Amino acid sequence: MQGLQTNNAPHPSVIIPHFVFASIALIGVAMLLLLSESALIQVYFSGKLIAITHLTILGWASMIIFGALYQLIPVVFETSLYSERLAKITFYSLGVSVVFLSYAFWINSFTVLLPYAALATFISLLLFVINVFLSYKKSPVNKIESKFILMSIVWLSVTEFIGTMIAFNFKFNFLSEIHLHYLKIHATIGFVGWFLFLIIGVGSTLLPMFFISHELNKNWLRKSFVFLNLAMLVLLVNGFSVNETSLEIVTFSFSILGIAYFLRYIYQSYKKRLRKKLDVGMRYSALAMALLVLPIIILTIVFNVFPLDDEFVNRAVILYGFSVLFGFITTLILGQTYKTLPFIVWLHKYQKLVGKTKTPLPRELYSEKIASIQFYTYFLCLIVMGIGIITQNLILLKIASYLLLLVGILYTINVMKIIVHSSKNTP
Amino acid sequence: MTAEDIMLFEIELLELLKEVIDPEVEINIVDMGLIYKLTYDGEGIVNIDLTFSTPSCPLGDTIMTNIRETINQKYPDFIVSIELVFEPKWTPAMISDEGRKMLG
Repeated sequence: MQGLQTNNAPHPSVIIPHFVFASIALIGVAMLLLLSESALIQVYFSGKLIAITHLTILGWASMIIFGALYQLIPVVFETSLYSERLAKITFYSLGVSVVFLSYAFWINSFTVLLPYAALATFISLLLFVINVFLSYKKSPVNKIESKFILMSIVWLSVTEFIGTMIAFNFKFNFLSEIHLHYLKIHATIGFVGWFLFLIIGVGSTLLPMFFISHELNKNWLRKSFVFLNLAMLVLLVNGFSVNETSLEIVTFSFSILGIAYFLRYIYQSYKKRLRKKLDVGMRYSALAMALLVLPIIILTIVFNVFPLDDEFVNRAVILYGFSVLFGFITTLILGQTYKTLPFIVWLHKYQKLVGKTKTPLPRELYSEKIASIQFYTYFLCLIVMGIGIITQNLILLKIASYLLLLVGILYTINVMKIIVHSSKNTP
Repeated sequence: MTAEDIMLFEIELLELLKEVIDPEVEINIVDMGLIYKLTYDGEGIVNIDLTFSTPSCPLGDTIMTNIRETINQKYPDFIVSIELVFEPKWTPAMISDEGRKMLG
């Protein structure tokens, strides 16, 4: 039995609330977009747009990532989660903080509510960081995938610290540069340092498992790890002391190299896969990987190609944020939900029934038809929203917001279908 | 039971274990190549050397329960002893031709 880590999965009551909260947050994001679609054509540093961004990043993406990671820690770290109780406290704390933070931004309460909301969010995220770090400390393995997850929580702490600092600066005004300067660092470390590191750590474990591909060259991952960390370090040093435009290009180039090596690894896994037919979850994941190229193209245009007027740069920055948040992160999460949540529920409900009675397959816990309609609706939403941002067309943005709302509703229906599945319905 | 009878019975047990499906891959564990060895002692004891595609397979317990239940449903008095082995490491090359067809 040595080496087996199958009893380490946390109780579903730790994980499932994250999925419920996140699916409601996704509907909330779509509704806020409907209430303020013009936010997507205004300057990117506006209260409403930042409220929507934070609800998406924390209420939707991070919340679901927290839940999924608690389940995946035994798979990646080969040990149990340090504390299920702490995970539950983190959930409630983050849930309240996210609503508070988004509300503070939405009503433009930058000096009154924001500092407190930011502090509450910082503490909530710190609880998560502590739980994951202490789980890592117990881990008997030291794989590159684990190191990515470890660094993701390091960068999460850094970006959260900067975010809280910006929030307090609105009230106490102690920073030397303008807010936009720090916001850029906060956002980049959030996107690359937190999300990308975590996605690489988890994705490079799960995707080869789902593709059934072995003997992969992990040197691609090691190179990705080095370049992405270098990118974040240069960004920090430059942002807080040197302040050289040329170093921004260095950060950008290192990030591209890191992403390219990761994509090379995933492409290798995809090419070597034994499982040729991709289910809906893997179709989303493949689309997300392809869409990761989009923000790189946008940043390349903004940085390097030709001089641009401020108006175009503003649109490009919003499109960049949209392509990262919705093109890459949300697409991946929508897909991986169908690869993880049914298993969590299936294991809980059928572990003791296997062999004794006929049990359904995990994929039979949700409607594949709804998942498929959701996939194509989301793909259409991405295209319409992207064109709407570029052309600043309010009608297109409204249509895209309705499409996102439809995606959120379809997704929630399937999530709830999985969660409330009863083993009494077994065929 | 003669040695030949035992060999035929072991093949029968392997056929029976094709009912045990890995719920993620949706292939039975025999065609997945997860059973390295199955022996029957002729007196109701089945010894199985089992592996997983990864040592931290979250479905490990479920698969082991399923193996025991599937054998005991047909042979209630049998004792099923499962030894987990990770050497040699499982690779996709261990999937049978039948299993590969199921993967599409």
